[in-house]
Amino acid sequence: MYGDMGNKLVHHAKRTQNLAHLPPYQAEIVRGVTREVRDLKKDVDELLEPFGDSQPTEPHISCTVMVNHLAIRRNKRCLLAYHRTRTDKLEELVWNGSDVVDLSGQQVRDTTGTSNGGAVGGVDATTSSLSPQEEEYVRQYSDLLAAYKGQWTDIDLTGSLEPPRDLFIDVRVLKDAGEIQTEYGAITLTKNSQFYVRQGDVERLITQGYLHKLG
Amino acid sequence: MDIDDILRQVDPVRHSVPPETRDLQGLTRLWVAERSAPELLEWPQDGLIDRVNSRVKAQIEKVEEMTGDMDPKTNFALIVIQTELERYKYLVRSYLRARIAKVDKHALHYLSSQELRRRLSPTEIAYATRHQALLHNHYLSSFLSSFPEKLQNLNDTSGNVSMIDSPDPNTTVFIRLLRDLDVQGMGTDDDIKLPSQNGDIVILRWSSAKPLVDDGDAELV
Repeated sequence: MYGDMGNKLVHHAKRTQNLAHLPPYQAEIVRGVTREVRDLKKDVDELLEPFGDSQPTEPHISCTVMVNHLAIRRNKRCLLAYHRTRTDKLEELVWNGSDVVDLSGQQVRDTTGTSNGGAVGGVDATTSSLSPQEEEYVRQYSDLLAAYKGQWTDIDLTGSLEPPRDLFIDVRVLKDAGEIQTEYGAITLTKNSQFYVRQGDVERLITQGYLHKLG
Repeated sequence: MDIDDILRQVDPVRHSVPPETRDLQGLTRLWVAERSAPELLEWPQDGLIDRVNSRVKAQIEKVEEMTGDMDPKTNFALIVIQTELERYKYLVRSYLRARIAKVDKHALHYLSSQELRRRLSPTEIAYATRHQALLHNHYLSSFLSSFPEKLQNLNDTSGNVSMIDSPDPNTTVFIRLLRDLDVQGMGTDDDIKLPSQNGDIVILRWSSAKPLVDDGDAELV
């Protein structure tokens, strides 16, 4: 049925919206939908060929052409929606300071964790949940964002969007983060220790998950 | 009106608000308005953001200068300045992020006409254009390139469906009136005219509120 595969993509997109991570790219379905579009286009062209530049007069032909054309448009919308949802998600990740490499790595861990060492045949295909085009996109978007951020060096655009309450905060160290330099001297962040530090100094480490803000 | 207002009327020179405070108030207003308006508001043309930026820079330098001093008295002042600086930076950051989020959401809409383009700052225009180009390229390389040529555009308006998404002008907003006037509002059954006073807070559709805000008769809250 026309548009069925497009519908599947939209369902995937809807699901993606509510997930914390990005599910693997549905390359198979995307290919399927584009193939459908090409076939439809070919049908339309074949139907219209005998008429040249003039409009077809038989109602059944105009009707088929119309339906095919609408199906093509619908498929295009589905594809756009699917890709846009994913790029939105990717942009969010870029803003939060995650790395594409990080992201792919996380997916690898996920798949090996769940497959219990059983069937490993599919691992190669799932090493990255991004399509090559998406990886390229993320790279370019990071550059763009960095360029835009460069104009506001003092503000640190990707910083916390919570209004700052206190200059100093209590943090607990979740993972060893080594030694950091602050204006009051160096502190060594060892796991499970607790510190009272300046928020600006450790913001990065909080977003990266090394520290946990208390209170 | 409180005592400060009265004093200011008597002696406008000595009790006038310093420009720094006025800038901070201006920035706060812009920030509040930008966060509650459904569509992108105008980028301040009077160089407010530039002034804010240079002030932030100056304060950062001051902080760096004062850090070397070990005197407890300057240490306390330092904490006050740093706290204030963090808050100031938060305001600017949040303001810019709110704008970028809107630009991202309806990039083609804001780039489509000259009038709308004027609302963006030059850097925002550059960002939006580049971002849109990136997106189009991404779509092209992912699937659009195998589409018939006529259907490769992203800004098609044929077939009764415009591909350019624009913000909804009928979202509700809260506004505070800055002078007495009759507020014209759209209702579900009937349009009404509500006589209101300075300081009243009303909720109405953005399409009805926009002229009031633009004329300075009301502000968004």
